[in-house]
Amino acid sequence: MTTVEDAITGEIVRNGLVVAAEEASIVVVRAGHSAHIQEGADACAAVLDAEGQLVALSTATSLMHAASLRCSLPALVEDFPPATMAPGDVYALNDPYRGGIHANDLLVFRPVFADGRVTFFAGTLIHVADVGGVSAAGLAALATDTFVEGLLLPPVHLARAGVPADDVLRIIRRNSRTPDKVAGDVQALVAGVNVIARRVEELQDRFGADAVGRCAHRDMDDSERRMRASLAELPAGRYEGSFTIDSDGMEARSFAVRVAVTLDGTGNVDVDLAGTSAQAKGAINSSVSQTLSGILYAVRCFVDPAIVMNEGCFRPLSVHLPRGTLVNPEPPAACGGRLVTVAAATEAILEALARAQPGGAVAASSLIQVYALSGAWPDGSTWLNLLYEFGGLGARVGADGPDATGAFFLGGRSVIPQVEPLEAQYPFVVRSARLLPDSGGPGTWRGGLGVETVIELLAPARLTVRGDRLGAHPPPGTRGGEPGRPGSFSIERVDGSIEAVAARQTDVPLEPGDRFVLRTSGGGGLGPAHERDPALVRDDIAAGGVTPEGAVRDYGVDA
Amino acid sequence: MSGVTAEAWVLGADVGGTFTDLVLAGRSGAVHAAKVPTTPADPIDGIVRGVTEVLGVAGVDAADVTRFVHGTTLATNVILQRTGAPVALVTTEGFADLLRLGRAARVEEDRYDVHFTPAPPPVDPRLTFEVRERIDASGTVLVPLSDAAVEKVVAQVAAEAPAGVAVCLLHAYARPDHEEAVASALRAALPDAFVACSSDVWPEMREYERAMTTVVSAVVGPVMSRYLDELGSRLRAIDITCDVQVMDSAGDVMTAARAAAHPVSTVESGGAAGVLAAGMVGRAAGAGDVISFDMGGTTAKTGIVRDGRPAITHDFQVGGKGSFGGARAGTGIPLKVPVVDLAEVGAGGGSIAAVDGGILRVGPRSAGADPGPACYGRGGTEPTVTDADLVLGYLDPTRLAGGVTLSPERARAALLARVAGPLGIDVVDAARAVHDIVNATMAAAIRVVTVQRGIDPRDFALVGFGGAGPMHVSRLADEFGIATVIVPWAAGVASAVGLVRADLGAEHRRPFPADLDTLDAVAFDTTFRALEERARDEIGGGDADVHRAAFMRVVGQVHALEVPLLDGPIDEVVATLPRRFSERYVAAYGVVPAPRLQVTALRVRVVRPTGAAPTVRELDVEPHGRTPEPVASRPASFAEHPGFVTTPVFDWARLVPGDRIPGAAIVQALDTTVVVPPGRVAVLDHSRNLVLHR
Repeated sequence: MTTVEDAITGEIVRNGLVVAAEEASIVVVRAGHSAHIQEGADACAAVLDAEGQLVALSTATSLMHAASLRCSLPALVEDFPPATMAPGDVYALNDPYRGGIHANDLLVFRPVFADGRVTFFAGTLIHVADVGGVSAAGLAALATDTFVEGLLLPPVHLARAGVPADDVLRIIRRNSRTPDKVAGDVQALVAGVNVIARRVEELQDRFGADAVGRCAHRDMDDSERRMRASLAELPAGRYEGSFTIDSDGMEARSFAVRVAVTLDGTGNVDVDLAGTSAQAKGAINSSVSQTLSGILYAVRCFVDPAIVMNEGCFRPLSVHLPRGTLVNPEPPAACGGRLVTVAAATEAILEALARAQPGGAVAASSLIQVYALSGAWPDGSTWLNLLYEFGGLGARVGADGPDATGAFFLGGRSVIPQVEPLEAQYPFVVRSARLLPDSGGPGTWRGGLGVETVIELLAPARLTVRGDRLGAHPPPGTRGGEPGRPGSFSIERVDGSIEAVAARQTDVPLEPGDRFVLRTSGGGGLGPAHERDPALVRDDIAAGGVTPEGAVRDYGVDA
Repeated sequence: MSGVTAEAWVLGADVGGTFTDLVLAGRSGAVHAAKVPTTPADPIDGIVRGVTEVLGVAGVDAADVTRFVHGTTLATNVILQRTGAPVALVTTEGFADLLRLGRAARVEEDRYDVHFTPAPPPVDPRLTFEVRERIDASGTVLVPLSDAAVEKVVAQVAAEAPAGVAVCLLHAYARPDHEEAVASALRAALPDAFVACSSDVWPEMREYERAMTTVVSAVVGPVMSRYLDELGSRLRAIDITCDVQVMDSAGDVMTAARAAAHPVSTVESGGAAGVLAAGMVGRAAGAGDVISFDMGGTTAKTGIVRDGRPAITHDFQVGGKGSFGGARAGTGIPLKVPVVDLAEVGAGGGSIAAVDGGILRVGPRSAGADPGPACYGRGGTEPTVTDADLVLGYLDPTRLAGGVTLSPERARAALLARVAGPLGIDVVDAARAVHDIVNATMAAAIRVVTVQRGIDPRDFALVGFGGAGPMHVSRLADEFGIATVIVPWAAGVASAVGLVRADLGAEHRRPFPADLDTLDAVAFDTTFRALEERARDEIGGGDADVHRAAFMRVVGQVHALEVPLLDGPIDEVVATLPRRFSERYVAAYGVVPAPRLQVTALRVRVVRPTGAAPTVRELDVEPHGRTPEPVASRPASFAEHPGFVTTPVFDWARLVPGDRIPGAAIVQALDTTVVVPPGRVAVLDHSRNLVLHR
């Protein structure tokens, strides 16, 4: 039951809860030691209520983790019922089969109390430094189970009643190649939940725990109401979509994520992933929480973007994830490369919902291409750099796809290292980084362009790569648009020979003078290419996005 | 001339989006101010009108103005509105797509927008040219720059006849001679073009931001030169013959020549002046560390002053966006210049209150200047923060800057229709809720800004200014438990006050990568001296204070901390670096750094105190216990008391230093209103600032 006071103080409490989450996310990103979490790329913080509902989520962090904390809290309360918790308790877990993501994404929780009972939970998550497993780079591209991906933690205590419980941290340290860094990351996560707990306690002291609880519920109800109102504007019906994944790097088959999205016209949405391929031997499986983050993201692309992220955004969704498939694997399937599957689920839903709202149609986008270069310094110590590049996004109704930028829920190209700092740190020279003309999928609206980066080694090195939507499965076009040009990995040897590198391959040796050539895929086109405005084709020629030959071949336009 | 005993006057002109503020300050401490509407089509028009007005009010002869300091938004306007002439970019072979590839990020709501498209690059791909050459990170030439390559690219550029050319070659910070060779050939071929070199504009690593900053310099440079020439000549036409100086974005004043040559330095000119002013009043009140809080009609800006200097960012973005007043990387046009670190949120006097989903919300929609708040009577029907402040009795209905008479009836009607009615509450309760909510919104921004910078706001004094700031600042301070609040004299034109009090200064920075164990003290000192010489030249030589700082980090870390250096023999200075760094590190992160340290860059700031500003006195005013006579009283509402209480109103101009005013009280000046809530006591200090203690 809300009161007039709640109506007046609601905005102040809401602000306080959101800022608590934001503040915690800043603390973990600032204090964290892992390069992955710079710019909040792989971090989040949240306030959750005693029932585990998401009350407030940090904003300047990745949407990849919208569902992570709310999906893993039930595992904690299952093992440690709130009645057994004490103020100052702090817990950690990372098991992908209990709401986690993969070994490196560590989740930390702390209960918040009022009058002797748990009223809220504080939660933080970052991609921590090394937690063991087969790959030092965190790029276990060819892992086949969770045991080689790193140390897994069921819900465990990091602190009891404010006193650090060092046992777990000692185990984590012992399993890490970089024990000090990972310990620093854990401390950052604990600092983050402590900040949230303090802020929520301050709000409870000021407004009363009951009022804060009512306001939190009201905020969630408000987001739910807005979600339903926005969803109800889409035409009722059952809409299907699917997306094909090249390979898991292990098995000789391709994979598909299939979805049927049913809108009932009153604001409910049912997302059924029946028909999705059986789980993979390789690491592309996506745990439930990751799949759900991807699903919510895709649905939110079709509703009012201003809706505040909290549990209310999840409530209109009923989700069916068949067990034993890519989107809800059985243990111990490996999950480290789940991004491929999350992105496929996202695009399958975008495709389905575009049938309900044609103006929202988007052709498929390229997927992030990851690579690691490593070698030995003259003194015998190793150098290692984990890098990535983006390709083109799919064309939209009325607009070409953006060039060389991250798939939608990723932040964008701001996270890619620049040439000068790379060359200052590592023994290679970047010879060129150019947009690839003609790589955008032809269409009435053209797909975004891919990039070609050429890296010349100055010292012996090893190369590990992971990519998708390359080779036989480039990002497809839609509504008669054509696929983007597939990206690739290859090596130009110093003797002039050229070697192809598979989409997933580890430890390819490189010699000084060898050039590693990375090409990212172009985005898919939308609509028939011959219906493209010739003036746009000529603009593309002038700006270098399309060659004169490509204009004739793909569009039938003479420069 | 009025005679040998004539007062030397300094004029400050701060051009904002809505108003142009003029402040005329005399050496004796006299301050006069004028506020005139900004004339966007020709901002000089408004400046000249304001100058004439303030000189008239003060009865000062134009010829007695010995210094003119300008705060301008010209660079920002040219960048955001893309009104500059097209420029060309010359870069290293293989990297013509440097700016097109870009570093755009999707943040917040943009992430759900399938139609999101990054902003186009500031240089047309057809005006981007590659030149065959290559230098590596150590400054070694991998591919020499041949005469033929220079001739080829110069011919390509010249054929397009651009107004400006930016030259940005890879690793030019480590070795500028290739850039210099290309630039001098371009200057010879295109004598009228503005040619900017990246190694001159920002000689540091990270090619994207360096190229962007260089391109923006080339775009804004010609516009800035013309504008400052025109301003000088129109000021001379009204007998102001002194040189024009311009506030830079970090709080130093530069010569017009330097502003024209390095126009990106002016990008946050007005904002820097405001934070600088806040720092000065803080120092005058004995508070070295302050948070500045500038609340106007549509936005509130917050900055931080530590040890008397504004906090500076080197990651500024024009038009950047993000939650809580932040600017996320990749959301605007990055400029690598030192810029005062401001957070700006959409909360101001014009922010609109509405009941939405059963909850009262305030902003981010604003009634702006037109139609403005409901109480302006210009057709606005939605209640705003100003309407709430009027209903609460804080604002005087009989006067406001600009001569608008405020209508409490209209304010009450709007609040009743849109807030009190739907919620079933009293109009005054509705007004107080609006006042509290906008404070909470601004508090959220301050919270995030301070946490991001590792600062505990309770250690700071809060300085409130701008049209609406002094009404809200005390309650905002209470949100954090901040004890000391300061409202500067002339709070409505505080940024212009900052202009007249600022010193002529320049700063330069250069990479100096070195492990501390093997640092070459002679090279360290030589680099500092070279930077110092360049900075001295830019302020026209003469006596100056020199401040040296080194950027340092633990080996393996990404982010460096700036460590100010002490004076003394260079070997001693180097010997103290680990201890100095450790102190800073502990203060920033709360833990002791690992022992292996690196220096990354050196910075020198050279300042020539102008002597034009009145001497700042420490706060030595003992409240003499005198509570002055109020000039009026009016009913006002405070959370501590039910209903309205009769609240004394004081005229700021009639107060004398040491006067002590216990809350609840209201202090009025021509351009602003200060609310002293119950529980605070306001004391007037020697500089006529009000210090509000708990």
